[in-house]
Amino acid sequence: MTERPASSPITRSLITAALILVSSAALALASPAYLSADLAQRLFGIMLGAVVVLYANAIPKALIPLARMRCDPATEQGLRRFTGWALVLGGMGYATAWLFAPMTSAWILAIALLGTALLAVLLRYAWVVYAKRSS
Amino acid sequence: MSRVFKALADPTRRQVLQLLRRGPMTAGDLAEQFKVTKQTMSAHFAVLQAAELIESEKQGRTITYRLRLSVLEDALLAFAQTVGMQVKRDDESVQSSVPRTEES
Repeated sequence: MTERPASSPITRSLITAALILVSSAALALASPAYLSADLAQRLFGIMLGAVVVLYANAIPKALIPLARMRCDPATEQGLRRFTGWALVLGGMGYATAWLFAPMTSAWILAIALLGTALLAVLLRYAWVVYAKRSS
Repeated sequence: MSRVFKALADPTRRQVLQLLRRGPMTAGDLAEQFKVTKQTMSAHFAVLQAAELIESEKQGRTITYRLRLSVLEDALLAFAQTVGMQVKRDDESVQSSVPRTEES
């Protein structure tokens, strides 16, 4: 059996971008007539969370050639893995908040969860930079 | 995805991935950790590379391997380690190998 050739990253990114735009437009069009505004907002939030999860999942797989690396390869690898995990969990939290939380608090909970993940990533980067400078 | 499951089904390959979690390692350093022949280790590396779980870079005569796991694959590795997922030896493309840590 022959393997299907993998599409290029640019093609995949363009397809993903097109899907996001089409889904957003479809939700906006369907909002007053077929979907309530709340449901459309929830679906959009879930979709955004899923996109974050999708992209964050691939972060540890994107490698820089060792020769071009400016810091310790083990540290760089640790940072990439931490960023991937934090953003995947943050994205899942964002989507879950839009899925289950009451409408009045969904947006704030979703942003708080994703924001915490982003903050954790920034703090980890800052810690690595600080440790490198002080050593 | 079947390549990923096949790669994660072997305890030696899982141990290689565990070692690479600490950071990139040369083929020699990795091979030192296991009581197997170079050919067997090369076969394990080939399976892991085919599944795109590791990447190699050649610098002179040294080959450095490093982890290339997505978050999902990382979680699958942790799950496989926990439950001790293993396929029958008949299904394997590489010879049986025993990590040095399990030596009697």
